[in-house]
Amino acid sequence: MVFSSLYFLFLYLPVVLFLYYITPLKWRNLLLLVANLIFYAWGEPVYILIMFVSIAIDYTHGMLVEANKRRGNDRGARLAVASSVIFNLALLFFFKYWDFIAGSLEAIGLTFMPKLGLSLPIGISFYTFQTMSYTIDVYRGDARVQRNIINFSTFVTLFPQLIAGPIIKYKDLGDQIDCRKHSPEMFASGVQVFVVGLAKKVLLANNLGMLWDVYKALPTGELTVAGAWLGVAAFSLQLYFDFSGYSDMAVGLGRMLGFEFMRNFNYPYIAKSITEFWRRWHISLGTWFREYLYIPLGGNRVSKPRLFFNLLIVWAATGIWHGASWNFLIWGLYFAALLILEKAFLGRVLEKLPTLVRHLYTLFFVLVSWAIFAVEDFGHMGTYLSAMFGMAPGGLSNAAVGYYFSSYLPMLLIGAVASTPLAAGLWKKLPEKPMRVVLPVLLLAGLIFSTAYLVDATYNPFLYFRF
Amino acid sequence: MSKKYCIFITALFCAFIGVFLVANAVAPDRTFSEMENRNLEQLPTPSVKTLLSGEFMKDFETYTTDQFVARDSWIGLKSATERALGKQENNSVYFCDEDTLITRFDQPDSQKVSDNLTYVNNFVENVDIPVVFSLIPTQACIWAERLPAGAPNASQTAILDQAQAAVPGALWADLYAPLWAHKGEDIFYRTDHHWTSLGAYYGYTGLAEALGYEPVSLDSYTETIRSTQFYGTVFSSSGVRWVSPDTISTYVPDTGITVTEHSYDNKGNPIEIPRSLYVESFLSVKDKYSMFLGGNQSLGVVKTPNTDKPKLLIIRDSYADSLVPFLTPHFSEIHLIDLRYYKLSIQNYVEQNGIDQALVLYSVPNFVTDTNLLWIAR
Repeated sequence: MVFSSLYFLFLYLPVVLFLYYITPLKWRNLLLLVANLIFYAWGEPVYILIMFVSIAIDYTHGMLVEANKRRGNDRGARLAVASSVIFNLALLFFFKYWDFIAGSLEAIGLTFMPKLGLSLPIGISFYTFQTMSYTIDVYRGDARVQRNIINFSTFVTLFPQLIAGPIIKYKDLGDQIDCRKHSPEMFASGVQVFVVGLAKKVLLANNLGMLWDVYKALPTGELTVAGAWLGVAAFSLQLYFDFSGYSDMAVGLGRMLGFEFMRNFNYPYIAKSITEFWRRWHISLGTWFREYLYIPLGGNRVSKPRLFFNLLIVWAATGIWHGASWNFLIWGLYFAALLILEKAFLGRVLEKLPTLVRHLYTLFFVLVSWAIFAVEDFGHMGTYLSAMFGMAPGGLSNAAVGYYFSSYLPMLLIGAVASTPLAAGLWKKLPEKPMRVVLPVLLLAGLIFSTAYLVDATYNPFLYFRF
Repeated sequence: MSKKYCIFITALFCAFIGVFLVANAVAPDRTFSEMENRNLEQLPTPSVKTLLSGEFMKDFETYTTDQFVARDSWIGLKSATERALGKQENNSVYFCDEDTLITRFDQPDSQKVSDNLTYVNNFVENVDIPVVFSLIPTQACIWAERLPAGAPNASQTAILDQAQAAVPGALWADLYAPLWAHKGEDIFYRTDHHWTSLGAYYGYTGLAEALGYEPVSLDSYTETIRSTQFYGTVFSSSGVRWVSPDTISTYVPDTGITVTEHSYDNKGNPIEIPRSLYVESFLSVKDKYSMFLGGNQSLGVVKTPNTDKPKLLIIRDSYADSLVPFLTPHFSEIHLIDLRYYKLSIQNYVEQNGIDQALVLYSVPNFVTDTNLLWIAR
């Protein structure tokens, strides 16, 4: 199920909220678990079994780690952690990367790995990472072991963040699973964040996505320089509003149910360096890799060459996490290169430059990265990138670019402003009295217009489903 | 924010999602959408099989969007919003000058086009009668000047040239020239994809030489206005609600002309259903264009009092429905086959019914996307 759908908004959500709040506190996790399973099974009626297996294994591994630690058997605890990590990675590898590796081997003439053609279970990239963090945190002493299987299952399957994150670590949520507060204040703030997220996804992302679709599908002969930049600009806004909108909806729904999730995006496009961009983009993934990969590798308290090597590993992993395809790996390594350069000398150079130059530098490299990210086929990616750099088969620009630019100009402007903290800043400056009037009007407008677009759109896939 | 105010916001949100939950549950399901001219999804019944395959969920999703309360108004709100945001198209329909809505014509799949042309060529070679082949250029081509500035628009004339060259055995009739010459007149509907009776008349003059008749002058007919409240298919798919309706006119009187639809009953026995050149009952529903010959049919036979004239077979799309009245003075019988429904051998049909001439006539957008032309050569 996706949040930006009519049956979620007008059937699943009201029914779940109603049942949730009439259920006594001690039964709420069980109710939530049932609701989560329905939510997941709606999209994955068969693969839900994989999730059951994953829950059973991580639950028992958590217990094993704790039992070994209690007995002072560090080696046993380490083994249990390793076993859990191996299991989760194997699951992810099998469903997500098997065919990719098989296909790549086939391309160089090795055929011992047959392609399986399995579809990717929804959300597997997210929930394997979450459950992996659980056993590691129990071992590190950052989280207490969860003995209640219902509570543990509720954590793994929690529907607001189940299929598209944010990637929530058990240590951040465990206590809330066991005991959380519900209040009108929390619910109302959840409503605001949710509606903002819904509008981002339905009104901005889907709309700008149509512009990107035009340029993605354009026959290469018709691609122009201006068109290539227009397309990639539309994609960059689409991806941001799509993903951050979905994260906002998750945070909002979480609050409606009494949970507080971490913030996943912090206006990434206002970053003044690539390093800063990655502190603002998909924060939950970045911190996950930092805590469970980068720091165990030695982090930045190592020699320069070792540091660069660590960055390379972490960003190769980040890239390939986004999808089983070479372009995602290249995309990750592209960022590794930029981050290494910034750490080596570029960061110090940048600091001396005017702010505007630093913004332009960041946006330029981020936009180029999205072309690598969005175009999977190497041949097409090459054409697209060279078009962006002036070698477009269709020349500088054409009438169609003018048509699309003028048609989408208001949307692009709204998108550009909405990806900065400008509006949120103004909102906070608004005195309480007018705000109390404007808020419900805006909320209703967001809901009404989103509903109109959802009724109109039969086509509404969620971009991050592939990850 | 005070607790009271938070309760108000909470209640507002819950009321919004709750109201539509109840409204959707209470409102009776519609079976057919006139606006979209299609059947709407009905509540699916789950079974183990459809639950495991996810088919039930898919159907249920379609069901919730199809049956959402006040569906048509929501769609209208969306298109109005799009226009307010500076968009010049919605759901692949351009908002054009002169109160006109025109469906986008994008570069067609070249493989499909050449396949379809091959099928037509095979048909021409299979039958022993003369075949006339023609394609109708539509609004996006003839009325291109009305499109928004710079709007992408693939060439239909290129398709016409390709079609003429690909079927050398057929007589090609050029409809571009007569339509282009009258592009200032109401030759197409502004809200529907079809040509008007006037447009069909100019098409009829363009077919005259190839089909071998002397066209009757338009002045000898009187125009009869059938409806001034016609909103067509492009209006529906655009979601646009701000254009004025079209007028449907006819010119040719239907005296002495019979129309018979050949079909099958639910036991599979052949049956004949009488129709007429103009079925006026359609004028009171949304789908008013179906007034011409009573809408879609697999096989229709039009018989005229001119029994000394030849018999014509038209392999066609719905543009032919408004053309047929003009052809009646020149043929004794006009047989109409729609390949979407008719799957028997056309060659046999020609032989068994003593057909003298055949015409293959499609609009360019229909021809380049048609998936049933392979049946023409069977």
